[in-house]
Formats: sequence, structure tokens, C-alpha cells
Amino acid sequence: MRIDDAPMSMAIDEALLKLNSEGKSPNTVRFWRWLPSTVSIGCFQSAELEVDFDVAKKYGVEMVRRITGGGAVFHDHGGELTYSVVCGQDRMPDDIIESYELICGGLIGGFRQLGLQAEFKPINDVQVGGKKISGSAQTRRWGSVLQHGTVLVGPDVRLMFELLKVSPEKISDKFISSVYERVTTVALELGRKPGFDEVRGAMRDGFAGALGAELVEGELTQEELKLAGMLKPKYASDEWLKKR
Amino acid sequence: MGYAEFKAPKGLIKVEVELAGDQILRISISGDFFMYPEDALERFELALIGSRVDRKSLMERVENFFGSSGARTPMVEPEHWIEAILRAAGDKIT
Repeated sequence: MRIDDAPMSMAIDEALLKLNSEGKSPNTVRFWRWLPSTVSIGCFQSAELEVDFDVAKKYGVEMVRRITGGGAVFHDHGGELTYSVVCGQDRMPDDIIESYELICGGLIGGFRQLGLQAEFKPINDVQVGGKKISGSAQTRRWGSVLQHGTVLVGPDVRLMFELLKVSPEKISDKFISSVYERVTTVALELGRKPGFDEVRGAMRDGFAGALGAELVEGELTQEELKLAGMLKPKYASDEWLKKR
Repeated sequence: MGYAEFKAPKGLIKVEVELAGDQILRISISGDFFMYPEDALERFELALIGSRVDRKSLMERVENFFGSSGARTPMVEPEHWIEAILRAAGDKIT
């Protein structure tokens, strides 16, 4: 499984989307982890309003802006698995929420395989016991669809909420207990933290089922890596991060 | 500059607005909502410039924009954008 930094993670997703739309890259499901840990923000978010830059610097957490909407997400190297699905738009319902539901069905299948009863919560969340365990974001460009999102395996939830522009005063016991009411992780639900390969395997089967597809293992192609390399500087630039 | 946030059913809308009298001179919208296509947001902001900051004028502009552009914002309705803008404008006035 790839472990990539923030700019490369986003560059690969965009490269797959572009090449898929040109018929040069197959429909793809991929899984990866981030190093260093990163906060990704949605394309409509203002970086300064969403992320505490001082806290990020203190913990060596990077930041990157996605090309998808939605909120700020903490990709904890030690606790989060990220997925992306790229396919032709003809494979997806036109209705936006329906398409989120279809792809999130892959995650739900994966969670089920891990022993968890998960549900789709429109627009873009998967919940277990009413608490968020996964969030996703989707874009549609050039005739293809990219949806990527998180699987909260066992992230540092306290650090997550410290990074995401919540003042230190709010990190009281009371706030933390309310945080745990809204968010859960695979580790919390199972009482053990599964390995990333185990989670990946479950999600892989989940997506195969939900997408009605045979998934063939592979690596990124030279063309995909080359385009990703060309897109990487954009994601690394201050101009892109502070675009809004 | 007036600033306000409004929580729509799915999406926190953050608005920064500068007025000239009771008309929008400059507006910046951010947040964790979804908009399709993504580049519609900038066109949305441009479409709001010059609008008076009353509910009726804003509704006309907003509905006109979504009607003509075909842009989609799942689970965020015109009245949500308007509420966020009015709050930001109200922040400026007070």
C-alpha cells in the first residue's frame, strides 16, 4: 500500500481522474496512507478559518487543499486509511446523493466484513451507531467521477479536534465527551485496532460488491505517476492552499 | 467587512461581505458544502455583486443563478445562502 505525502496524495487522485476521463486509465479503487499526517481542506474552505496553523506546525502536520468540496479532514498517519474511487460518470447515477450512496456502499460492505453495522448518512458520511466513522467527498470532471474519503481506523481524535480550529479552551473533558458522541473509529467499535491491511482487505471486498466490479490488483502506471508528478507542485504551493 | 456563519442541513456556510450602502460590493463565500460544478462558486459570488441585501432581492439573484447555471448544492437551499448573507450583512451594519 502506498504511503504518500499530502501533495502527492492529491496529485495521484487528480491524475487518475484526468487519465480516466481520457480513456487512458481504468476505473480504479485505491487505498493509501499519509505521511506526514495531514489536514486536507475542502476546495471551498478558507484555510485560515479551518485549521489552526500553529497547532499544525507544533505537531508537524501538513495541510493541503483538495479539489473536492466538504470539510476539513485529519489524515492521521497512525490511524486513518484513505480510499479513492475513480470511474466514468456513465457508471454513476446522475443524482449526486445517490452516487455518494452507491460508492459509500463499498465502505458499508467493508465495515460489515469487519463486524460493524454501518449506515449511509446523506450526503457523504458513513456512521456506526449514529456516529461518524467515515466521510467522503466527490467531484465530477471531464466525464469522470472521483470520490475519496476516510476510514477512521484508530486516529488520535483529541489531536484531530485540536487541529481543526477549535480553541484550546474548548478541549475540556466536557467537549471531548461530546466529540466522542459524534465520531467513532474502528478501534473503538471493535475494542481492538486492526492492521491497515486487514481494513484494506475488507474495504476492497466491500467496493467490489457495491460497484459490481471485479477488482484486479495493480500499481500506478508510469503515465499516472508522471502526470501526478506534474500536478504535485500545484498542491504543494502556498497559492493553492490559500486560494480561498 | 461583515462576517457570519450559518449552518445549513448539510454544510456550514461562511460569508464575508462588504457593502456599499445596502448593496453588495464584494462577497466571499466559503465553507464545507458541496457545489457542482465546483467552479460555479466564483460565478455565484459574481452574480451576487450589486444585489441589495434584503431577502427578496437576494432570493431573486440566488434563484436566478441556480436556475440559469444549473449548479447543484445538495442539501443546501437558496434560503440557506440568503440567511448566511443577511447575517454577514447584519454584522457589518451593527
